[in-house]
Amino acid sequence: MTAGVAAGTLFTPAPWRLITDSAILSENWPGIFFSSHGAPTEKFTNCALCTAGCAVKARCVNDRPISLAGVVKSPICALGLAGLHMPFHTARIAHGDAENAAAAVRAAQGKVAVLDLRPGRTASWTYRRAMAALPGGIYLAPQRILNAVNLAAVKTLVSFGAPVLDGWGTPSKVLAAREHFSLIQVEKDQSHTGLLADRWIPVQPGNEPVVAQQIARDLPADGSSLFLSSAELPSVLKMNVTLGNLGHTVIARNETPVPAAWSKQAAAVHAIQNVADRSIGALLIDEASADVAVPWDVIAPKLTNSAVVITFASTQAGYGRYAQFVLPAAVYPEVTTDIPTAIDSVVATFRLATPLMAAPSGVVDAAEFVASLAKLDTKDALQERAASIHATGRGSLLSYSDQKSRPIKDVKADQFWTALNAGACWSDSESPLKAPRWEATIATPAICEAVRPKPPLFTKLYEESGLKGIAS
Amino acid sequence: MNRYAMSIDIDKCTGCGACMIACAVENNVPPLPQSNDRKGITWIRVFPVDNGEQGDTRQSAFLPMMCQQCDSTPCASVCPQQAVQLDVKTGIVGQMPERCLGCRYCMTACPYHARYFNWWDPKWPAGMEATLNPDVAPRMRGVVEKCNFCHGRWHAAKEQAASQGKREAADYTPACAESCPTGAIRFFDLLAGTPEAGSFRLLEKLGTETKIYYRSKRAWVKGLAEAPDGKEHHLA
Repeated sequence: MTAGVAAGTLFTPAPWRLITDSAILSENWPGIFFSSHGAPTEKFTNCALCTAGCAVKARCVNDRPISLAGVVKSPICALGLAGLHMPFHTARIAHGDAENAAAAVRAAQGKVAVLDLRPGRTASWTYRRAMAALPGGIYLAPQRILNAVNLAAVKTLVSFGAPVLDGWGTPSKVLAAREHFSLIQVEKDQSHTGLLADRWIPVQPGNEPVVAQQIARDLPADGSSLFLSSAELPSVLKMNVTLGNLGHTVIARNETPVPAAWSKQAAAVHAIQNVADRSIGALLIDEASADVAVPWDVIAPKLTNSAVVITFASTQAGYGRYAQFVLPAAVYPEVTTDIPTAIDSVVATFRLATPLMAAPSGVVDAAEFVASLAKLDTKDALQERAASIHATGRGSLLSYSDQKSRPIKDVKADQFWTALNAGACWSDSESPLKAPRWEATIATPAICEAVRPKPPLFTKLYEESGLKGIAS
Repeated sequence: MNRYAMSIDIDKCTGCGACMIACAVENNVPPLPQSNDRKGITWIRVFPVDNGEQGDTRQSAFLPMMCQQCDSTPCASVCPQQAVQLDVKTGIVGQMPERCLGCRYCMTACPYHARYFNWWDPKWPAGMEATLNPDVAPRMRGVVEKCNFCHGRWHAAKEQAASQGKREAADYTPACAESCPTGAIRFFDLLAGTPEAGSFRLLEKLGTETKIYYRSKRAWVKGLAEAPDGKEHHLA
């Protein structure tokens, strides 16, 4: 009977629970890692996780960042604060067959195309130059209708699903402007922005144009409103034309200068919808720093039956599902890259994200890969672009370490390059606001939300607090 | 001598979660995949709240909650290990994981649910350990932890002051207050400043004499501070 009781007890939770509890009470645990000590240092850079490109102050120990913070008057978002952990995403891919990928592109039947999911960078110009050099090369970028807005002039902001208060623009600018505009959020499910909006209007998908017209009817046509749409719906954005917002809240901004030779040798920018079906034999997708994505359903018909798809990414969660080759890309804060001008900036800017830690071996630089296909030497492309900006003599340079802004005329070319690498931002001179050209008949852009891996600590927001789970 | 306190403007809080992330980075709180809403560790946690209405009259707000740094500490009085201690020099309620035996009496006693139990050993994705803050020791499983106003930063400030021949710690700011994009969280010394007029504290009727002051222009938000009041709760 005793043996029976002993055997039966094993099928109850009690003995197993005792093992766990005794381990806890005796603190019989394997030990935890203690980070090596060292003198803390400060580095300044820019966050490359989105086009806001916020100024970042990194606290480093032993050449590793241990925390990130915003620079005075320029806070960074939760994503930016956890940005130092991006390289440690558990799904990060470490290996890729770059040699065979390059061979596959060379052997491909049909046109070679690059889909750039963060256009406007120096790397984007490399892609354009490479595609111009390759026979039949095509440069593709997501089509955006609204490229620059002037938040300071907005009194009423009508957002159709755009996460205005949750990552859409530069946090410091949005928060500063928030005191002056009322926010109407229109969307099917109440988002984080919807919770904080002055008014949230639920809408059935498909009814957006009608709702936009009704709201526009109640607003003055004095250029003080702004209509945004997360899906870039032309019928919604057209209200900006109706209400006279062009040139006031919706503006055209000068491009950040590039060397003249680049402009002459660059391929035109195409929307993928305008490419002929079954014409692309090799598609290279730079999605490592994607801001938006293009639905695969739009891409697939453009590929030949034997097309090779190569994607540069940190995880396989995006286009990796459809690609023959997924080449591991470096991520912020391992990369050296420039950040395109933010949508809420009225002047062109040029900022660099410089590495706070070394990238692991095996990562492939997408721009270098594409440049090598066209036999272009683009090693010093960033420095060449900085030199061309400096040569214009326009604008000013804000240095983060001392918070001083100096006219570019007072800065030598080598100082300019050094300052950019040490954390600084070039801003173009202010000029009278211009209205953008408006294509009234523009087709609905084919864009969708990009797959962007979140840093490991985001479990705090998504799982442990449910803070982001309330959004829908 | 200091009496550190915090003032939080609920009307300014956008619920972005920057304070939660900054806190976890500063204090080496691990991102455990098996953690959930009940078993996760968030020294500061932002709760979405609403006024209980529907449609156009519905209003929402975000309420950052952390250890309220009580002067009359219910958690310290129940701790059999003296692992909780109110530092009279700073007003900070400290938690000593080395003394904690994991009985969780303090968690039961805390009226603010601001204490968290380590159900698992801390673990980080491979390589991420190198980015831990060397000023803060990670806690082992089986112990309780909570906000301590970034004690590591306070020690660092004190050391810096000592190196300059000063006895008092220079000004320091906890990570949540530093990171808040809207400036909703303000850290201050009650001996040198006062909370803003109209500030209120959570569950004041309990007499815990907390040092986290909240403020809002909305009456229903102030009403939440008095819960439980027999009405429907609106914590999401």
